[in-house]
Amino acid sequence: MKRPVIIFIVAALVIISTGLWFYNSMQGFNSMDLLQFGVIFMLVAFALFLGIKRLRSVKRGEPAEDELSKKVLQRTAAISYYISLYIWVFLIWLKDRVTFDTEELLGTGILAMAVTFGITWLVLNYRGIRNE
Amino acid sequence: MNNRIREFRARHNLTQEELARKVNVRRETIVFLEKNKYNPSLRLAYDLSRVFSVPIEELFLFDDSGTN
Repeated sequence: MKRPVIIFIVAALVIISTGLWFYNSMQGFNSMDLLQFGVIFMLVAFALFLGIKRLRSVKRGEPAEDELSKKVLQRTAAISYYISLYIWVFLIWLKDRVTFDTEELLGTGILAMAVTFGITWLVLNYRGIRNE
Repeated sequence: MNNRIREFRARHNLTQEELARKVNVRRETIVFLEKNKYNPSLRLAYDLSRVFSVPIEELFLFDDSGTN
C-alpha cells in the first residue's frame, strides 16, 4: 500500500512545481517550454496510471507488486540507463550545433531519460520477460 | 519452457484472479504465464504446482534442446 501512495505524492509534487514554473514564466513562454510542459504532463499521467493500477491490485486482494512487476522494473531501469547514455552523447553533439541554454539542455536530457524509461516499461510490459 | 497452467486452472474451475490470490501474485502475472511470456521463479512454480496438486514437471514442460 505504501508504494502507490508514494507515487501519488511524487506526482502531486511534480504537478505543483510544474504549475509554479508555468505561473512564473507565463510571459516568456516559447515552444521549447511548451514541449517540455507537455512531456511533464504525459509523465505525470503515466505515474498516476501506474499508481491506480497498483491500487486496483490491492483492492482485488492481490499484492501491489510481485516478482514479474519487480523484474520488469529492474529490466526497464537497465535498458533505459543504457539508452540514456546515447541520449546524452547525442545532446552533447547537438549542443555545438544548436544554440541551447544550459537549463534547456539539462531539462531536455532529464525529460528524454524519463520518456525513455516510460516507453521501455510499456514495451517490456507488453512483451513480457523470459529468463532464458 | 511451456506450461499447462491454463489447462489445470480450467480443470480446477479457477479464474485468473482466484489463482493469482492463491499464489500471491497479480492477475497480470497469471496472464503472462499462460501466454508463455514469463518464466516463473522456482518459488512461484512450486506454489502453482501445490495449488493444482501436481508435480512441477507435469505443470511445466521443459525443452531440453539448447541447454547444457
